[in-house]
Amino acid sequence: MDIIVCLKQIFDLGQIMVDTATKHPITEGIARKISDFDKNALEEAVRVKEKHGGTVLALIGGAKEAAKEALAMGADEAVIYNADTDSLGTATIMAEIIHKMKYDLILCGEASIDEFSFQIGPRLAQALGIPVLTYTREMELKDNEVVVERNLENRYEVAKARLPALVTVTKEINEPRIPTLLQILGASKKQITEISIEKPEAGIETLRVTAIEMKRKEVILKDIEDLARVIISEKS
Amino acid sequence: MDFLFKEEQELFRKSVREFCEKKIAPKANEIDEKGEIPRKVLDDMAAFGLLGITISQEYGGSGADFITAAIATEEIARADISMATAVYYLVEAGWGFLMNRYGSKKAREELLPDVTKGKTFLGIASTEAAGGSDVAAVSTTMAKEGEKLMVNGSKTFISGVREAAKYGGGYVTVVKTSPELAHKGLSLCYLPVKDVPGITTNVFKQMGRDGISTGAIIIKNVAIPAHYLIGDWNKGFYYAMEGFNCARPLVAAACIGAAEKALESGIEYIKERRAFGSPLAKFEGMQFQVAEAYAKLESARLLVYKAAWMLDQMYTKNRFSHKEINKAVASAKLVAPTVAFDIIKDVLIWHGAYGYTKEAGLEKGLRGVASYIMGAEGAQNIMKLIIGRELLGKEFAPY
Repeated sequence: MDIIVCLKQIFDLGQIMVDTATKHPITEGIARKISDFDKNALEEAVRVKEKHGGTVLALIGGAKEAAKEALAMGADEAVIYNADTDSLGTATIMAEIIHKMKYDLILCGEASIDEFSFQIGPRLAQALGIPVLTYTREMELKDNEVVVERNLENRYEVAKARLPALVTVTKEINEPRIPTLLQILGASKKQITEISIEKPEAGIETLRVTAIEMKRKEVILKDIEDLARVIISEKS
Repeated sequence: MDFLFKEEQELFRKSVREFCEKKIAPKANEIDEKGEIPRKVLDDMAAFGLLGITISQEYGGSGADFITAAIATEEIARADISMATAVYYLVEAGWGFLMNRYGSKKAREELLPDVTKGKTFLGIASTEAAGGSDVAAVSTTMAKEGEKLMVNGSKTFISGVREAAKYGGGYVTVVKTSPELAHKGLSLCYLPVKDVPGITTNVFKQMGRDGISTGAIIIKNVAIPAHYLIGDWNKGFYYAMEGFNCARPLVAAACIGAAEKALESGIEYIKERRAFGSPLAKFEGMQFQVAEAYAKLESARLLVYKAAWMLDQMYTKNRFSHKEINKAVASAKLVAPTVAFDIIKDVLIWHGAYGYTKEAGLEKGLRGVASYIMGAEGAQNIMKLIIGRELLGKEFAPY
């Protein structure tokens, strides 16, 4: 089973401050990390490899540090590229890279937690001409097929697709492992390939990002009875 | 000159921080209140490769260097600022390294895998009732009796006594083997304490770091196998000093980890807390305190990592003399606990009456760090004596 898992390196949103004058996010000096659901996808890929054998290749829109983390978590090799474009452009770049690779299964997070576009998985599957199963909370491989349970908010749906296929996963599917020291040191021997691809013209260009101002209500409660009254009135 | 950590070290810090936030921080209050680190926490730490991290891989450790070990110490203390979990970890990291280096092959194979699996505890037993600072004055004896070694005496203020007696484990123990030779008549042995005839233990009530016990070990005619001798006969003083040099940078790392966490929470608090119409952080008097705390903490941190780096250089590249190592390690151990204590105390005061509550979570840090000012892993005045001796020369040593 040869698996490609798609990862995006994003700013650690918990560390981002907002410029009080311009309302623009301050990203200078902010640490980066692998997007949360993408880590779930990587964990699932490694678990499939541990159960069925095969390889895991991490395809990463980001820098070497993210590749090292992915390798420490269990990927066998990593390919990094610069994806500073919109969802369509990113999926186009990824498809161009993956076209030259051998794979049975592609795993993605359902969305990146910085943009939440939910587009990469479906767009990539379309570009590669393979079936896509989104919002997967459970996954099993049987007889050259992938069987998944999808979380569709008001219902769960069980579906299957023949391989090769692309699956996007939700946070529920697993708890990603935290790499140990030995896994981190072991990762330094694994291969990281950097691919430079000409950026396709973006269909959508982000012009400005500003924070939404959340005004505090500044309600001062005198005592516990006061608090109880507020809770009861909000509930009713 | 380069002050950056290696990529692997940065990634390890990120990993350990995530681990500690998930597995240790949620239990920090329980550890302090119940006076015990839950076995699940220790099992998780072992599975993550933290326990006995400096022990070599053949015995289940990670063979970590001291910079890496210090990173983990700092992060563990951030998660549990009472210091209890950090103490459990760092005692094993420091003295496990020594056992791994000088213990007999048979003893290493027999004892170290259970330490790295988290099944047993490995500590240091040096201090005696007459004092801890004067290691040469140790009166616990060890003598050869046939195939065995016979140990008699007592040790006190020993970390992990209850854990070792309950779950298994023992101590790198400083004993006198040739009383006439003063410090040149000391040896080191491994002393097990669980279900050992002749061993009794008792636990003290302390003011802090309650999650790991501290107590005494009474040793009456305890026979241990000959392979529990650590290193050469009568060379124990030098091994013990080396062990302290390994453990002390980690002690200092734990202190700065706890202080960093306290300072971060203090900064958050003063930005939110308002008085006289503006956040406390707007007051110049507060900003000066924040700046001083940061600068002092950063100085202590640099001393810690310099000492750890010098140890790694000594062990891997044979660089730096013992004199240079002694000065660097003693400086880190002298500065970090005091800086940490002062910062946690100041942050606690910033919180006003809330700081005095257990809910604020700061007072346990103050109680924990205090142990390293009192003298655990070497009293502050001993650190001054070491630095003084190395700067002025042995001929000026007062003792």
